[in-house]
Amino acid sequence: MNAVDGSDHYTKTSDEPPPSLLTIILDTNPHAWALLSPTLPLSAAIANLLVFVNAHLAFNNANRVAIIASHTQRAEFLYPLPAQETSSHTNGSAPQNGFDNDVEMADDGEPTVPPLSDDANHYRPFRLIQTTLLTALTTLLKTTPPSSLTPTTSIAGALTLALTYINKTTLSLSTTTSSTAPNADTTLAAETAPPALNPRILILSVSGDLAHQYIPIMNTIFACQRLSIPIDIAKIAGDTVFLQQASDATRGTYIKLDHPRGLLQYLMMGFLPDQTNRKYLVPPTAVGVDFRAACFCHRKVVDVGFVCSICLSIFCSPPEGAICLTCGTHLQLGEYGGKPVVVARKKKKRKNVEDGKGKDAT
Amino acid sequence: MADSDDEYVQDISDDEVEAHQVTRGAGAGSRATGQGSRGAGWEVTRTWENVVEGADGTISSTVDGLLEAAKRKRLLKDTTPLQRGIIRHLLLILDLSLAMSEKDLRPTRYLLTLRYTTAFITEFFEQNPISQLGIIGTRDGLAFTLSPLSGNPNDHIANIQKLRTQEPIGQPSLQNALDMARAALFHAPTHTTREVLILFGSLLSSDPGDIHTTISALVSSHITVQIIGLAAQVAICQTLANRTNPSLPLSKTYTVALNEQHYRELLMRATTPPTTTHSISEGGGVRSSLLMMGFPSRIVDSSPTLCACHSRPTRGGYLCSRCSSKVCSLPTQCPACGLTLILSTHLARSYHHLFPLRNWKEVNWARASSSDQRCCFGCQTAFPERPMGASTLRRQSFGGQTRDRMAMHTTRGKPSASKHSVKDVSMASVSKDGVSESGRYECETCGRFFCIDCDVFAHEIVHNCPGCQSREGMLLAAGAENGNEMVILAEAQKG
Ligand SMILES: [Zn+2]
Ligand SMILES: [Zn+2]
Ligand SMILES: [Zn+2]
Ligand SMILES: [Zn+2]
Ligand SMILES: [Zn+2]
Ligand SMILES: [Zn+2]
Repeated sequence: MNAVDGSDHYTKTSDEPPPSLLTIILDTNPHAWALLSPTLPLSAAIANLLVFVNAHLAFNNANRVAIIASHTQRAEFLYPLPAQETSSHTNGSAPQNGFDNDVEMADDGEPTVPPLSDDANHYRPFRLIQTTLLTALTTLLKTTPPSSLTPTTSIAGALTLALTYINKTTLSLSTTTSSTAPNADTTLAAETAPPALNPRILILSVSGDLAHQYIPIMNTIFACQRLSIPIDIAKIAGDTVFLQQASDATRGTYIKLDHPRGLLQYLMMGFLPDQTNRKYLVPPTAVGVDFRAACFCHRKVVDVGFVCSICLSIFCSPPEGAICLTCGTHLQLGEYGGKPVVVARKKKKRKNVEDGKGKDAT
Repeated sequence: MADSDDEYVQDISDDEVEAHQVTRGAGAGSRATGQGSRGAGWEVTRTWENVVEGADGTISSTVDGLLEAAKRKRLLKDTTPLQRGIIRHLLLILDLSLAMSEKDLRPTRYLLTLRYTTAFITEFFEQNPISQLGIIGTRDGLAFTLSPLSGNPNDHIANIQKLRTQEPIGQPSLQNALDMARAALFHAPTHTTREVLILFGSLLSSDPGDIHTTISALVSSHITVQIIGLAAQVAICQTLANRTNPSLPLSKTYTVALNEQHYRELLMRATTPPTTTHSISEGGGVRSSLLMMGFPSRIVDSSPTLCACHSRPTRGGYLCSRCSSKVCSLPTQCPACGLTLILSTHLARSYHHLFPLRNWKEVNWARASSSDQRCCFGCQTAFPERPMGASTLRRQSFGGQTRDRMAMHTTRGKPSASKHSVKDVSMASVSKDGVSESGRYECETCGRFFCIDCDVFAHEIVHNCPGCQSREGMLLAAGAENGNEMVILAEAQKG
């Protein structure tokens, strides 16, 4: 909270870790929350989440937050919202203002007082987030038709939204601070330039069964991998294979909440530190990871699958007519256990020799 | 700076002596210090060589042609039936010797190589998702491991980035590097390829022994060596490429890069996995087959247990999904039951080639004002309102960077603003490659509007449409999810 007056931005040196952008994906599946309500009602979870968000913002005045709802069949921004959807335009542009001030301070070294006034008892950015989030969430839940209630949630959509938002925010920051080198390719610059922002994604997950979104989820995981954005998972209920893989592949934190009632404790201890701080901590993360995949034909989660050697599509059983459903190649079914191709027979001998050596040595 | 001046003065008398040794570095030094202006002029003439004036007296036709060509190439590349199911073991050997500080490739051979190598790593793992890559550097007559064999592109890229702060120094040693590569590839499983790719800028190799014995050893371990030269053909490289690839013509295994573009092409050629036709011709092995693969889970034991692959006590590992033997690393073949074990995340790395995201359409002002979407669905940035002078206002609102990005973004290449105004009429009506006048791009599947940044990001990095992924009823519809289209390849092959 001391950071509010902007004085520590004045003394900021260039090697100070960049501010972090926390993108929270809240799984709002009504079914799952209804099941959870005896231990952790949605309202309590939101209250905990708001405390966590406030703590994140209090860490550094330039820190930012975005909250995205992953609803049963759609994903939506809960915060920030575009200007015209909220009552006044101040809501939407508030975080922008906050940051612009910081940039100015860094530039001319003249600490300006952030424009916050009305309520002395409630820090204005906190209140903005609270009202925006609650309004948006209420609208979202009200406008959910009963027909769209499914046990699943559109995590892929929410992740994609989170990524486009992170991308845009990073771009807008790197132009204002002009810290990125203009020489490299765009993608290369995005990958190698020192980040103006430390983005990360936190998913509060309550529902399972994501096999239908296998490919889009995997796409987002690789995008996160390329951009080194960790995906943190707070698994409150349900069971999903792919979120575990997401956090493992992006070096995020995966915590399965044994006691959902203590959500705030988990959030504060496990998910508050950003990438810079995590270097100095031992993050509590899952050790075992389930790397099963979903088949393309029935979206079934499998641990042994049949893979087309041309396009790498996964099938739970040999496809009909031995034709790959994805690329249309005629496949030879002769040897299921077939090895992934290539290279001569001569080497069989070599292998035996090597094996023999290996056994002798050990 | 003072140092280099001194050096220049002192070295004048030594220049002839050095010229007799094979060093090209001396030339580079003198040019950099004393004859900067001449060096620059030489660069200019060189770039002109590639540019041909079009009939209208501008070079835009050439630029367009290059962009078109790149685009077509990409399309072609994506539809060739590649064997992505191949496990390759590739060791990249980087020449980090003094010869790499030459500036005949801009900015220097060294920096360009580092930049291209980064792109190469990304591309390699996209094309060969279950393969392994390692990087070896050679300088000062020594070889050293820059990045050990692994399947994680990020590790390699991070290791390459570390080189940026270092300077190329000394002379390379092909023999040391090759010996090191041979040792690294020694344990590669038998059903995989063993490849070495050398980026060689020098005209000499300073070796401790007879390199021909090393070449013979490579041949007997079935390691193939490809070389990309940056200076000129070197006899030993020719021998090396010929002897390790007896069945391939030299033009495919040893090439000297003519310019930056050619260098990149040569490097990217090495990322392409062998095509199906190629493997058929190579000796009637398995053509396209269905492979049975296991997706094991990672476990961590409380106490060390022996792994099935090396019989070493380890705590972490992967359990074979068929017989539950523990192996240390993936991809591998289960030593007990022979099942190929891989990480599903590795397979999934190439799926966006199968389901590419459909291109988004430019939105004209009429369409834009008829819709009530006022901000980008992906990032919540407000779209520009319909202005008086459409193009200028839009530019301002999106900042200078967007323009640069668009110019670089080849798939929607629009080289100059002036050209746009000339072709305005035709582009507005046809507008396949154009830039949207309203700053909006529409996904035709979900009908949402996006800004240019989200468009580029969605198509180049994430390969998902944010709108389609959060559409009512999306999860129930099976086929056309994600606005992605199945590759037309399927029909092409059936027909
Ligand atoms: Zn299936
Ligand atoms: Zn296939
Ligand atoms: Zn082992
Ligand atoms: Zn096994
Ligand atoms: Zn956008
Ligand atoms: Zn769409």
